[in-house]
Amino acid sequence: MKKFLESKGFRELLRIVLAIAIGLTLGFIITLFVSKEPLEAYKTLLIGPLTQLNRIGDWLEQSITLILVGLAITIVFTGSLWYIGVEGQLILGALASGVVALYLPVPPFWRILIAFLAGMLAGFLWAVVPALLKAYLNVNELVASLMLNTVALKLFEFFLKNYIMPVNARSVSSDLISPQYLLTSFIPNWPFLSGIRNLWIQQTSVTYIVYIEIAAVIIVFYLLYKTPFGYELRTMGSNIKFANYGGVNIKRTMILAMTISGIFAGLAGVHLTLAIHDKLIMGMSAGLGFEGIIVSILAANNPLGVPLAGLLYGYLKTGADIMERTTDVSRELVSIIQALVMLLVTAERLLPAIQRRIEEKREENNKPNKKGESNVI
Amino acid sequence: MSFETVIRSIFSAFFIASVIRISTPIILPAMGGLVANQAGVSNMALEGIMNVGAFTGVIVSAFTGNVWLALLAGIIAGVLVASLLALFHLRFSTNLTLAGLAINLFCSGITVFLLFTLTGDKGNSASLASLVVPNINIPIIKDIPFLGQVLSGHPLFTYLAFALVIVVYIFLYRTRFGTHLRAVGENPEAATTLGINVTLTRYVALAISGVLAALGGMSLSMAYLQFFQSEMAAGRGWIGIAAVWLGNRKPLGVLLAALLFGLADAVANQLGSLKVPSQLVQMIPYITTVAALVVYAIQQKRNVIERIKKYQRENPEGTPAEAVAKK
Repeated sequence: MKKFLESKGFRELLRIVLAIAIGLTLGFIITLFVSKEPLEAYKTLLIGPLTQLNRIGDWLEQSITLILVGLAITIVFTGSLWYIGVEGQLILGALASGVVALYLPVPPFWRILIAFLAGMLAGFLWAVVPALLKAYLNVNELVASLMLNTVALKLFEFFLKNYIMPVNARSVSSDLISPQYLLTSFIPNWPFLSGIRNLWIQQTSVTYIVYIEIAAVIIVFYLLYKTPFGYELRTMGSNIKFANYGGVNIKRTMILAMTISGIFAGLAGVHLTLAIHDKLIMGMSAGLGFEGIIVSILAANNPLGVPLAGLLYGYLKTGADIMERTTDVSRELVSIIQALVMLLVTAERLLPAIQRRIEEKREENNKPNKKGESNVI
Repeated sequence: MSFETVIRSIFSAFFIASVIRISTPIILPAMGGLVANQAGVSNMALEGIMNVGAFTGVIVSAFTGNVWLALLAGIIAGVLVASLLALFHLRFSTNLTLAGLAINLFCSGITVFLLFTLTGDKGNSASLASLVVPNINIPIIKDIPFLGQVLSGHPLFTYLAFALVIVVYIFLYRTRFGTHLRAVGENPEAATTLGINVTLTRYVALAISGVLAALGGMSLSMAYLQFFQSEMAAGRGWIGIAAVWLGNRKPLGVLLAALLFGLADAVANQLGSLKVPSQLVQMIPYITTVAALVVYAIQQKRNVIERIKKYQRENPEGTPAEAVAKK
C-alpha cells in the first residue's frame, strides 16, 4: 500500500484529481457570477446525469464517443505527434457508414458489418495524406490536420446537401436509417433479460458497440505497450532523435500511428450514425476532436485510463446539457472547466506532486554513474 | 454568372480591394505569430485570442457606445489571454502546443458562455447594437479612378494592418529590444550569457502577439462583419501561423503569404456566384494553406540539402571525423 502511495501512477492520479477539483471550484465561482440560482445549477450539473434512466443512457452514449476519440488521440500523442484530425476522420467515418447503411443492397448483417468497415476505412484513409506529408516532408501536422478538418466538414456537407438529403427534408439531414440496419442494444436478447432490455431500449441507445469499445481499449493498450510498434512509438514520443539513432523507422511509425488512430475516430463516427442519430445530420461531430484531446490528457495518455476519463467527461457533458435545459447557465461552462483542467494537468511545474517527481528524476540522473562504472568494469 | 464574367471580375479594382480587405484579419494575427516566433515561442493561441478580441470589442462597444474604448478593451483582453499562455508555458513549463490548444478551447468556451449569458443567443451577437470601426477615405487618392477604388475606403483595421507590418519590421530589425528578441529566439543560452532576460523577452513577445491577434479578431467583428459570431476566427489564427512559416519568418514574406491566403479566400467568394457547389469553393482557402505548408516544407528540405552540399564542396575531406578516419 505504501508503495502504491509513492508510485508515479498514484501521483499522476492525485494531480489529475486535484486539477479537476480546482476546475470545478472555478466553475462554481463563475456560476455564482452569472446565475440567479447558482446552487441549483451546480447541483444539476453534478448529480443530474444520475437522476433518470434516460440521462444515464445519455451519459453512456456520450462517453462511448469520447472514449473512442480519446483512444485515437492517445495513440498519436504517445508519439508526440500533434495530429488532431480526429474531427475530420470522425465525420467522414460517419458519412461512409451512413451511406452504406442507407443504400448498400445487402442483407442487414452484411450491411452493418460493411458499414463498420467503411467507417473505419474512411477514418484511416483521411489520415494518409497528412501522415505522408509529415513523414516525408515534415509538414506541420497540427496546422495541416486542422485545415483538413474543415475540408472534411465541407465534404460531408457537400455530399449530404447535394446527394443524400431528400428533396422535401425539413432539416439538413438524411432519411432515417431503417431499424434493421442500426446497432441493437448491448443487453443480449435472452428471455430472462427481456424486461430490463426493453426498458433500456425505450430510454437509451447504448448498443453493443460497448463491447467493441472494450476490445478497442485492450487493443490500443496492447498495441502501445506490448508490440514493437508501440515501443518504437513511445521511444519516438519521448525523444525523436534518440529513436532515430536507435534504429526506429520514424517514417513508418509516424504513418502507422496517424492512420491507426483514424480507425478509432472512424469507429466513433459509426457510433454516431448507427446508434445515436440514426441518420446523417449537419453538425453531428461538433467539437468532438478537441474533446478527444481532453480525454487523452485526463487519462495521462494511458489507454487504460481513457475509459475512466471518457466516463468522467461524458458525465460532465451530460450534466451540462441538463443544466442548460433546466437552469439559466449554458453548457459551455463545462468547456471552460475542461480547458482549465487541461491547463492545470499539463502544467508540469504547477502542482507540487510533479516537483517531487522532478527531484526523483534528478536522483535517478545521479545514480547511473555507478551503473556506468560497473558496466565499464 | 458565366465563367468569363468571373474571370473578368477577378481583374477588377473591386476584386483587388476585396483581397486587401479579406487579408486584413489574416495579416494581423500572422504578424503577431511572427513576433512570437522570432522570440522562439510559437503562439499557438492566436485563434483563441482572435475570438476573445472579436467578442470583447463587440460587447464593450455595445455597452459603452464608444468604439475606441472597445478597441482598447479588446486589446487588453488579447494581452490577458496571451499572458495566460505565457504564464503557463514560461512559468509552469506547460508544453506550448498543449497549452495553446487548452487556451483555444477556453476562449471558444468562454465567448459562447458569456454571449449566451448576455444575450440569450449562442450563435451571434446581432441582437446587440454594437459599433463598427469607420472606413477611411484617403483625400486625394480616392478620386483617382482605379487606384482610388483599390486603396481608399477600407476600414481603419486594413490601414493599421499594413502600417503594423512596417512597425513590426522596424521593431524587429531596428530597435534594441527587437534585436534582443531575435537573439532570444535564435539562441536562448547565448542571449542569457549576454544578460538578456529570456523569460521576460518571450513574455513581452507573446503579449505583443496578443495585441495583434486581438486586433485581427476585432477587424472581423467590427469591420468585416458588424457582429460577433461563435468561432468567428474560423481557422484564421492557424492560417496566420502557416503564413509565418511560408513567409520564411520575415515581415514582408509573411505579409505576402497572408495576402496569398486572402487571395484564395477572395477567389472562393467570387466563385461562389458560379454554379459550383459552395462547399467545394469554401474549401479553397484551407486547401491553399495545406499546399502552402507543403511548399514551405519542400523549401526547407532543399535548404538543408544545399547546406550539406555546400559543406561537402568546401570540405572535400568530409567532416573532421571522417577526415581523421580516412587518414
